Amino acid sequence: MPITTTRRRLLAGSAAALALPAFARAQSAVKPRLTAISQWSAGSDGAAITALGKKFEEKGGTWQHSPVPGFTTEMMNKLRAQIIAGDPPACSQLKGPEIAAWSKIAPTLDLDAVVAAAGYEKVVAPDLAKLHKPGGKWIALPLQIYSTNMLFLSKRAMDKAKADKIPVTWAEFNDLADKMKSGGVAFPVANGGTRPDDGQKFEAALAGISPAVYRAAIMNLDEKALKAPEIKAAFVQVRKIADWMDPNVGAQHFSTNLKRFVDGDMGMMIMGGWAQGVLRNAGFKFDDFMIAPGPSDNSKPVFLLNADAFIFWQRKEPDLQAGQTLMAQLVMDPAIQTMYSQITGSIPVRTDVDLSGEGWSDGQRRTAAALKEAIASNQAVLSLAHNMAQENGMTAAMIDVITEYVKNKTIKPEQAATRLAEAVESSR
Amino acid sequence: MRERTFAPSRILIYLIVSLIAVAWLAPLAVVVLNSLRTNEEIAQGSMIGWPQHLAWSNYATAWSGFCVAETCAGIRPYMLNSALITIPATILSTLLGAVAGYAVSLWRFRGDNWIYGIVTLGIFLPQQMRLLPWTIVLRDTGLMNTLTGLVVIHTIQGLSFTTLFCRNYYVAIPHELIRAARIDGAGFFRIFWRIILPLSPPILVVTVIWQFTHIWNEFLYGVTFTTGQQQPVTAALIALSAAVADIPQHGVQSAAVIIAALPTLLIYLLGGRYFVRGLTAGAVK
Amino acid sequence: MTIAVSTRPGRPAAFDWVRRLPEYLTIWVPLLLSAAHLIAFTLWTIWISFTPSTLVPVSGWVGLRNYSAVAASRNWQIALDNLLLFGSAFVLLSLVTGLVLAILLDQRIRGENVLRSIFLYPLAVSFVVTGTVWSWLLNPGLGIQKLVHDLGWTSFRFDWLIDRDMAIWTIVIAAIWQSSGFAMALFLAGLRSVDADLIKAAQIDGAGPVRMYRRVILPTLWPITITVIVIQLQFAISTFDLVRALTNGGPGIATQLPALVVYDLMFQRSLLGRGAAAAVLMLLILLAVLLPYAAWRYVQRRRAIHA
Repeated sequence: MPITTTRRRLLAGSAAALALPAFARAQSAVKPRLTAISQWSAGSDGAAITALGKKFEEKGGTWQHSPVPGFTTEMMNKLRAQIIAGDPPACSQLKGPEIAAWSKIAPTLDLDAVVAAAGYEKVVAPDLAKLHKPGGKWIALPLQIYSTNMLFLSKRAMDKAKADKIPVTWAEFNDLADKMKSGGVAFPVANGGTRPDDGQKFEAALAGISPAVYRAAIMNLDEKALKAPEIKAAFVQVRKIADWMDPNVGAQHFSTNLKRFVDGDMGMMIMGGWAQGVLRNAGFKFDDFMIAPGPSDNSKPVFLLNADAFIFWQRKEPDLQAGQTLMAQLVMDPAIQTMYSQITGSIPVRTDVDLSGEGWSDGQRRTAAALKEAIASNQAVLSLAHNMAQENGMTAAMIDVITEYVKNKTIKPEQAATRLAEAVESSR
Repeated sequence: MRERTFAPSRILIYLIVSLIAVAWLAPLAVVVLNSLRTNEEIAQGSMIGWPQHLAWSNYATAWSGFCVAETCAGIRPYMLNSALITIPATILSTLLGAVAGYAVSLWRFRGDNWIYGIVTLGIFLPQQMRLLPWTIVLRDTGLMNTLTGLVVIHTIQGLSFTTLFCRNYYVAIPHELIRAARIDGAGFFRIFWRIILPLSPPILVVTVIWQFTHIWNEFLYGVTFTTGQQQPVTAALIALSAAVADIPQHGVQSAAVIIAALPTLLIYLLGGRYFVRGLTAGAVK
Repeated sequence: MTIAVSTRPGRPAAFDWVRRLPEYLTIWVPLLLSAAHLIAFTLWTIWISFTPSTLVPVSGWVGLRNYSAVAASRNWQIALDNLLLFGSAFVLLSLVTGLVLAILLDQRIRGENVLRSIFLYPLAVSFVVTGTVWSWLLNPGLGIQKLVHDLGWTSFRFDWLIDRDMAIWTIVIAAIWQSSGFAMALFLAGLRSVDADLIKAAQIDGAGPVRMYRRVILPTLWPITITVIVIQLQFAISTFDLVRALTNGGPGIATQLPALVVYDLMFQRSLLGRGAAAAVLMLLILLAVLLPYAAWRYVQRRRAIHA
């Protein structure tokens, strides 16, 4: 089975695709067509990509989206199969450092010209831009941004605790949780039990305690930082959070608990902005809950960046090339980003979109403001739990330690910190 | 063992059997009940409960309503895809397996034991391991993203089971029967057609049931080797259950599970008696 | 046992060969395709396990590094421990359940058809569905425990799913529910083919039902028992969809199983080489199960021939 020829074959294909200035010209000559792979099949994700497809067709294109339901792994299986078959989609969902990793196995499209034409570089957070131009050239475009450590507060639980102040630091968070507990809130922290859920608790804790250590240890895998006392402190905080959660959640998704959260049986939820989209789709009102940036011990917002993006693969067909140009333009378009974010509950990648208008929620405005402040104070970091900080292999090794710690209360915080460092070491 | 009076021991037997049967039916009952409850009702109570009023709309939504991305056609088109993959692959793998089992058991040829041994070892080769090699094969044969490709995969993989079942069944056929036919001048196919096939229904029922349910329920290959419009029904079920950006839709999900399981359940209900009979005759050796 | 039929004399060999071409093709093409794909895929996986492949297969040589990395990982060690526990518990319990069900159904009871269908129907359902439904039932916040609490018995606990020591047993429960029917069918088949004269003779000797089973019927079921054990072990080793839908390896990483680790390494962590190494180790475990079985079969056959 001559699998080794694949790369060579793909590289040969890239030579043909170098004749790319057909880019702009092709658009007028042929009907643009786009083949796309994503895992967005249901709920607000499905609705948003469907709306994007409609816009694409309004501009005269043919939209051929192939959703791969299930987990990200199955989506990647599909993408891998298409790449091995020498038939990658015109664009596909991919995010974080995986963009750089995957760009090494098949030729990607150089988007510099379209990005420059749209003036996109100026309005994207620099840390984020870097992930999408691994070789110095844009090959992927971020579409929407979430912060994975937004703090959702149930109004009814706040009433039970007789509190109205949103906690800013972890100490205040812990204080409020205690108050909720004594006020009759069964579980001060609402949560799901999936692996990313557990990962989010840890990253929110560490980044809130020290964004600098988070950056050094989790993003840069610095050995010394991985042994810093802040890591242990983060695990201590995670244990507190875990103790306030409903142990009966099992491996259920966080959305299973949304009703109990709104009803005030559960108090606070550390979750990404996507929970907003889910809450709204489920028919809950914005008065039922409040949203604020997650706890930060230096009181300045910490933003754990999670951005969905499309990577563009080289294709020779003129109609696909025209489709890629059109798609790139749409993804960067402020109106499209507005539409997309308003469906899913995210915020636009463009920092120049005005969120004061109707259609945006308070939560989204707060998220956008938090991003600006966090960038200014160098406290915008990349999410580990949602595959933004490390490639999948490293991420999974670290999450193994974290999820085991959350579910097993006999593991001591210092033990977990040591295991985390060991997991990093063995996955390098 | 013969009397049919209601001796205490018989009452005990009925009691035990009924208790186990109830336990066995419980998961099905829960799904059926949930398929008639609204999503909100389930969210408020537990997953186990009696429907307040019968929400038949779950079935309508599951059959032709819910959306997988931009396609809002429910489970219906995916059922058709699954049928288009499962039926040909089941027929092909059963027929080829029957011929192969017949050849291996009654026509001894050089190397038959070896090849039979290797083929049946295929039962034990894990699915996950075969995913990438199949990708390469589909690329080289140009069958990527075609239903034909999936039929080919399931036929070749299915041969391991069908050959095993049929061979064990045919081994029990008296060889005098074949010898007599050969003396009368009957050849390989004629004997198969006239003698073997008429004797085969019990074991063919077993292989058909086995193959049909396995292929119908397959997910990994089904989503990797198809495009959106050709995905099998398992993909639609996953789309309903693993929705990250949605509150759980347990009601609709349960209805979809019931609809998707109907073909295989029916096959087991109709074929159950023959399943045991076929096993009695063959596969247990 | 089988007759080796040589071509009949009196015909030119070449003509015979051409005449029989269609039958050669029908016999050999499917068998060779099947055997070839199995051999090629296995060799390919072995080769990949020695390469530094990550996202896609690449050539290169890293020796046993992938193997040592897998063997040293906590996930794999936990998976092996679990396989030992899950494998033996599941095989034993499904064997007992299947046998008990078969004996009960063999008592000429009314409604046997219905009952048999009830015990067989889980086989018709996909593992993903089974895993999902059991994850509802066994989830203490959604399923049986919640139901009992709502009925008023609030101290009732059935939370194995979230208990990392007991969670593996939830997989045992679901697996038994799903596949005992198959064991039952095989045993029932065996019970039905017990020689009627044997039973009659025992009856004449005045054997009661218990003694009849212990002394006469059950001993004849040995070969079937071995078949059931091998099939269920095979099921245990390749269990994948069920765990993924039921616990996804959790709580934490407490219910990892080898097949789950293989898939996780190969596709989720994009460490193809390591995943292939884990797959090869899994095949070796399978061989360890199958070789004794094959040897046993061989001895049996020899004995049958010499008897």
